[in-house]
Amino acid sequence: MKISLKWLKDYVDIDVTPEELAKQMTMLGLEIESIEQVGGDIDHIVVGQILSIEPHPDADKLVVCRTNAGREQPEQIVCGAKNMKVGDKVPTALLGATLPGGFKIERRKMRGIESCGMMCSARELGISEDHGGLMILDPDMTIGQDIKDALGIGDVVFEIEVIPNRGDWASMIGVARELAALYGKTCRIPALDLKESGEAASAVASVTIEANELCPRYIGRVLKNAKVEPSPQWLAERLIAAGQRPINNIVDITNYVLLETGHPLHAFDCEKLAGHQVVVRRASAGETINTLDGTLRSLQPEMLVIADAQRPQAVAGVMGGAESEVGEGTATILLESAVFHPISVRRTSRALGLITEASQHFQRGADPEMARYAIDRAAQLMQEIAGAEVLSGALDAYPTPAPVREVRLRYARCNQILGAEIAPDIQRQHLASLGFQAQGGDDTSVLFRIPSWRNDVTLEEDLVEEVARLFNYENIPTVLPHIQPSETVLAPQETRIRALRRFLAGEGLTELYNWTFSSPEAVQKAGLQDTCGDMVTLENPLSEKQATMRSSLIPGILANAAHNVRHGRSSMAVFEVGPVYLPEEGLPTQRQRLAILLAGSLEPKHWGRPQTPVGIFDLKGILETVFDFLGANVRFEAGTFGPMRPGQTAQLLASTTPVGWCGQVRANLLRGYDIESEIFLAEVELDLLLGREKAGRTFSAIPGFPPVLRDLAILVDRNVPAGEILKAAQQAGGPLLREADIFDIYIGKQVDANKKSIALSFVFQSETQTLTDSIIQKQTENIQKRLQKDFGATLR
Amino acid sequence: MKDELEAFAKDALEQIQLASSAQSLEEARVHYLGRKGKITEILRGLSQVPEAERPAMGQAANQVKQSLSEAIDARKAELEAVSDANEGEPADFSLPSRRRSEGHIHVINQVTEEILSIFFELGFQTATGPDIETEYYNFESLNIPADHPARDSHDTFFVKPGVVLRTHTSPVQMRVMEKMQPPVAVVVPGRVYRVDNDASHSPMFYQIEGLLVDERVSFAELKGTLMLFVHRFFGKTAKIRFRPHFFPFTEPSAEMDVSCTVCQGKGCRVCKHSGWLEVLGCGMVHPNVFRHAGYDSEKYTGFAFGLGVDRIAMLRHAIPSITHLYENDLRFLEQF
Ligand SMILES: [Zn+2]
Repeated sequence: MKISLKWLKDYVDIDVTPEELAKQMTMLGLEIESIEQVGGDIDHIVVGQILSIEPHPDADKLVVCRTNAGREQPEQIVCGAKNMKVGDKVPTALLGATLPGGFKIERRKMRGIESCGMMCSARELGISEDHGGLMILDPDMTIGQDIKDALGIGDVVFEIEVIPNRGDWASMIGVARELAALYGKTCRIPALDLKESGEAASAVASVTIEANELCPRYIGRVLKNAKVEPSPQWLAERLIAAGQRPINNIVDITNYVLLETGHPLHAFDCEKLAGHQVVVRRASAGETINTLDGTLRSLQPEMLVIADAQRPQAVAGVMGGAESEVGEGTATILLESAVFHPISVRRTSRALGLITEASQHFQRGADPEMARYAIDRAAQLMQEIAGAEVLSGALDAYPTPAPVREVRLRYARCNQILGAEIAPDIQRQHLASLGFQAQGGDDTSVLFRIPSWRNDVTLEEDLVEEVARLFNYENIPTVLPHIQPSETVLAPQETRIRALRRFLAGEGLTELYNWTFSSPEAVQKAGLQDTCGDMVTLENPLSEKQATMRSSLIPGILANAAHNVRHGRSSMAVFEVGPVYLPEEGLPTQRQRLAILLAGSLEPKHWGRPQTPVGIFDLKGILETVFDFLGANVRFEAGTFGPMRPGQTAQLLASTTPVGWCGQVRANLLRGYDIESEIFLAEVELDLLLGREKAGRTFSAIPGFPPVLRDLAILVDRNVPAGEILKAAQQAGGPLLREADIFDIYIGKQVDANKKSIALSFVFQSETQTLTDSIIQKQTENIQKRLQKDFGATLR
Repeated sequence: MKDELEAFAKDALEQIQLASSAQSLEEARVHYLGRKGKITEILRGLSQVPEAERPAMGQAANQVKQSLSEAIDARKAELEAVSDANEGEPADFSLPSRRRSEGHIHVINQVTEEILSIFFELGFQTATGPDIETEYYNFESLNIPADHPARDSHDTFFVKPGVVLRTHTSPVQMRVMEKMQPPVAVVVPGRVYRVDNDASHSPMFYQIEGLLVDERVSFAELKGTLMLFVHRFFGKTAKIRFRPHFFPFTEPSAEMDVSCTVCQGKGCRVCKHSGWLEVLGCGMVHPNVFRHAGYDSEKYTGFAFGLGVDRIAMLRHAIPSITHLYENDLRFLEQF
């Protein structure tokens, strides 16, 4: 909503600068979007008088004028207008002037004749749409006076954002009322002085409300013989200041009154209303209306319409119909001012896809008292400006007047909620200044009658906010609360996720953060259509690419890898922790997952030694440290998974529960992403692992006797998993075996083609004695026998 | 025997002095003092020495052993001093180092953790809720009935009838209050969604919600809590301002502004020349919200606030466009 300061001053005295006013409005809750200096870009334009007009020797459409602009010499100005005569005073732009929009006036030749300035139309000054020729000024104006002063066109316009519960702020009077309360001044609402004449309106037209629950009040007035013509300048100027375009006096007056009061009005051509009847009713099935914007619209039975005896003539509170539009030939006007149910207007406006100035006002809730003021104010202006005859009596259908609303304020409760000490009489005074009428009370509380325009106030807390606003939020004390610690821990897994993130970053991985949208195409591209194809679908996605909610982190992280490869990155160690969503009856299931992606090398480039390329065991290593960090026991078991290379893929199992996959991504899948390097990828289900309590650890004694090292090289079939051999050796080694490791694996010419050589190293150590050769010998033999028995291992 | 010992000691000391490397010194040590070395041999030979001379000879042999050992240590120190000074190429410290790869937590999560930690100190704890919510939790329970104009500002993604992508973290307020009785002091980090996508809006973004409910919680305490947060996060010189606003789930409601971090309140493009940046919305929990939660709004009062982490992260690090946050370009991520 645009608020002209000049106009605002009609209703309330304002003694502060525009900047100060903007601050005060802000602190009342009127959010200022912008402050505009109107006329601020008009400069060097003065009142000039035309001394002579001569034809241009080389151009039929131009004339050469000499204009006295109050300087030593008259200005010679070439001009294309025709509406002026010698002696007229006109706005004259001097050399160096700028017109609104930034056009600069310079000395130039027009068809060979020098022109030193410009005489302006009202439109060129930006003060009206009138471009019928030069703006002829009042003959009494002083030559040479600055045009802004002469016309009084300097103004400041505040653009304010009206919050949804304060529909009353979407009007000049509403804002003025608020400022009057702040300044302790009165708000001057223009007095009504309507002269009714002629026959009774009720003899000409009738108003019937058939759907009272959707229309509590409908007021009609009948006006005759209005002269439809352009609005006077003061009216046009105000509409322009509010960002509207003047049309004709009748339309302009309804718009003016809407800006002034916040109450939408509508004018019908009464002659076009069948039976001169207004019937407020729901639309019937199959009815249509041709609205003012020239669109034929189908109406639904729940929509409220303003009908005549036969058909709908307006969509109530949204838009009028073309058939009964007021135009040049209109002899009788039926003016409407009504209150429509906010939800009904909102639904209708949305269903028709038609959001109008009126619908926005009505859906915030209208003031039934203002409805009456607005129609009388408009009728009076039509009388004064358009010479209309206002028939006697208003057709005011108000079957059930709105009940008086009262809310009690307890002074102590107000202070308790605010944490302030505001004296009872100050609390009362603040509310009274805003129009809340005290209905008596005692030392502890007071009952207030709620003004008709404050449909947002229904509870004591609403009154508390009013007190706080006028008291000014800045004056409320600032105190730290004493918070009692709670024994309930609501989200223990959050702490662990935060720790996991820090841990992974400490391991040298960088965190990614993706939108959680996905699409069937993205899932297909990542080779996940068989496992993750079932997704939560959005009814109104932003685009096809974001049609669903993600069911896996893999499509996102692969797309991120592709983006970075495209920008020249070859090495990457990245992860993402976040939710995936799986469809379910009712709410979808949300699971926390971890994805890790490695490419290139984990080491930065260095002059001193070559980079080691990343491999599947780097990924396994990172995953193992994650599982250790989480205190989880997870096995890697060879398996197959859509996006990954057969033979280079393992399923992750926590005892027997699958918790994810890791492996090398298939090259032919990566081609879809334009990635040529090797990519190692894992996705882990975190919820299960986070849910486990990390086992408490107890101290074990630090051995005081020396360790003994032994190596063992064996030959086994190539398909025997080395991890199984290690595990068997650990079991067979008995309590003295501290550590067992594999330090070499050999496949090649020196062993049989179907065999591999595995070199194991052992560390034996006792807590009670120095180990002798014979004891060690016995342990290694046990290991050897076990490996022979289980895997057919022979010594190499 | 005694002469023999003296001669041996003299010769050994000379040899030790002559050792010119760590290796030859070690050879000498093994030769003289090792398990099969000269001294051991001499000590073994003591059995042939007459009974009366044995203690004196033994003592002498041990003295020799000790003086040789000292001489070896001394020579070792000399040799080390020489090699420390002379051996190897001098290191060129202007060469690039060999660092480990650095990891980075995403800037949104860094900022989130920093904000949360401030509230943890005050006694708040984390609570969470689902991204995909029922309309009841997202709207109705928060005093936003169907057809309420406030729904216009929540451009909502719909999943199916009654189910939406949450448009704010506030539904978690209700879920927590249903789970526990006051006192409640929670902060709720989480993803939220609005149908909006341009340079300053992302369809998914990140919020932190706060809720404190207890007996006699006041607006003054809301101001105090957020003032502490601002001073910790933006620094002690940051000014704050609370001004009235409207949210359906709080009454009274406020928006909190912080003095512009770019121009320090003088006015610039970032703050639209107002000197202030809108940082969060807040207010006292609306009685209708307590009613939905089954709390007695006469007995309990509370405050709630919600802030956008994306915007705060962008302000703190002068990130010009929100698209950087979700593009996952390593050249961006590695800056933080
Ligand atoms: Zn600024």
